[in-house]
Amino acid sequence: MKNIYIVPLILTIFSLAVIAIAFQLDTSPEMIVGDSMQARSFPIFLMILKLILIGILTFQFYKNNPKPVALEKYHTWGSMFLFLLFYLLTVYTDMFIGIFVVIFLMSILWGEKRIWVAFLTATITPGLVFMLFDFVLKIRFPRGILMNLYYG
Amino acid sequence: MFEQAISAMASVIVDPYLLGLIFATTILGVIIGVLPGLGATTGAALLLPFTLTMDPVHAIAVLATIYVSATFAGSITAILINTPGTSAAAATTFDGYPLAQKGEAGRALGIAVISSTVGGIFSVLILCFAAPLLARVAYEFRSPEYFALTVFGLSMLASISAGGAVKNLIGGIFGVWLSTIGAERVTGIERFMFGNYELYEGLHFVPIFIGLFAISELLVQSKTVDKIIKTVSMKAVKLPTLEDYKKIWKTILRSCGIGTFIGVLPAEGATVASMIGYSEARRWSKNKKEFGKGSIEGIAGAEAANNAATGGAMVPTMVLGIPGSGTTAIILVGLMVHGLRPGVYLFTEQVEKVYQIFGSMFVANVMFMLMGLYAAKLFARVSLVPTQILWPIVFALSVIGAYAFQGQLLDVWLALIFGVIGFFARRHGFSVAPIAVGLILGEMVETNLQHSLKMFDGAWWMILTQPLALMFLVFAFLGLCGPMIFSWITKQKD
Repeated sequence: MKNIYIVPLILTIFSLAVIAIAFQLDTSPEMIVGDSMQARSFPIFLMILKLILIGILTFQFYKNNPKPVALEKYHTWGSMFLFLLFYLLTVYTDMFIGIFVVIFLMSILWGEKRIWVAFLTATITPGLVFMLFDFVLKIRFPRGILMNLYYG
Repeated sequence: MFEQAISAMASVIVDPYLLGLIFATTILGVIIGVLPGLGATTGAALLLPFTLTMDPVHAIAVLATIYVSATFAGSITAILINTPGTSAAAATTFDGYPLAQKGEAGRALGIAVISSTVGGIFSVLILCFAAPLLARVAYEFRSPEYFALTVFGLSMLASISAGGAVKNLIGGIFGVWLSTIGAERVTGIERFMFGNYELYEGLHFVPIFIGLFAISELLVQSKTVDKIIKTVSMKAVKLPTLEDYKKIWKTILRSCGIGTFIGVLPAEGATVASMIGYSEARRWSKNKKEFGKGSIEGIAGAEAANNAATGGAMVPTMVLGIPGSGTTAIILVGLMVHGLRPGVYLFTEQVEKVYQIFGSMFVANVMFMLMGLYAAKLFARVSLVPTQILWPIVFALSVIGAYAFQGQLLDVWLALIFGVIGFFARRHGFSVAPIAVGLILGEMVETNLQHSLKMFDGAWWMILTQPLALMFLVFAFLGLCGPMIFSWITKQKD
């Protein structure tokens, strides 16, 4: 199978999965729903519409034979990996440690050669944003190593 | 009503806090606009969480100011470094950059500033008059009409921004499906929550929009890290001469009309407006050969149209609750978050607030003109901020903004997940704006369909017996199938 058909395939699998899940949803008694529709009906209707459109898209691909999309550079995959790292650091240490590490590593990954610039960006940005949200907007951040020290 | 509107608009000028806020936001908007990749939509998505604690008028004024100033500012980099800061400024590069290369960057910027300001102010004036009139018509709308109107709005997604019609519609349907996540509004049945009760009230727009627009843009920009930007030198911004004005005034007026009209159409926006404004300027010009080589008519045509579209796009957003673009979708969310229900009630019960917002847009247009004329050179230097510094900062603003909305980490994860989804969608030619608009319109379309079915005892075809609803559905059909039918007829004739 050509690479260009992967997108319609993924979309089809997604739509069928949604339909399958929608059929598992609870139904409401007639006296509540009345002449209207069940909770499952609308998503199923949407996915059927989507499947029709996917059919048209596949036909367009077959007729026009578009170029397959090139693989992303390592910067992109690296950035996505940093999102995962951010998740782990936020859950197990502190959100601001996560932000610091990700900004620092992202700067380096994207080509910043001056370590001190990356370090300053990673320190100053979350610091300023924290001050703005904490002092001005009065928003409390999730507890973690640093926030426990700050909130006490 | 008229006096109330005038006094509300005038109150903006005598409110120093609001004036200061508009001034600061205009600077921010221009900076956002000149930074390639950021743009009005990403800027508004990033700023939305910061507006949560503000007064509703101030919050919407901030978002609207970002919209108009960033749309204008895209032209600065379009002219100086041949890189449109926003997609709406793409047409400005055709003549702006060649003129700058001839050593007339200041003149090119002057034309862009004046044209944008005239376009923006013209559309705000139209907005002031057209919106209340449309609101009066919308007063007659019931569920079948609203259902048909949202279907019309969704059908217009076919032509929104980049991507083909089919891809845009698939994106729109995906967005509508996202709106079904959570407890169903009539029966309370949980849909697609997988036991996660934080999703009981559905997906919130703010983190999703931050993900779709800001995080996905970050990933898109990660592919351009090696790009080298060359800037054109500029002495000062010159005001257009009398000779220039004589040459461009008709073009500006024409583009004001085109831009406002295109902006009013649901799901059409500044990018389409600027392209049409540019091509019409070329069509009506006596100096067609100059186009592409530094024509001031080309710059004026594109710039007046894209800024005129900003006011136009606010009409369906505020009157009907149907956003005209990604940025107006965010402004609509801002309205909802602050308890300002778009629609006829906004124009009957909160007239003062509405006109204060319009007044803010007016003031923002004047402010970006001053900044464009006196500080464009300075702002152009901002565009040279290295991507490896800028985008990690955008990451920090995105995750903290997503968290700040409700104070729950789930929103941060949602922003990241939708950022990745948005990135892959864009990589494969799907625009993310239809997903955002679909998410907003999803609840409206389902709820109004349910109410219509109840009204007509389940007889859905009765919706077609309502004249206004039928009209919108016919428009929707024509919007979707019209181009195909037209090309088929043309082929048959040939």
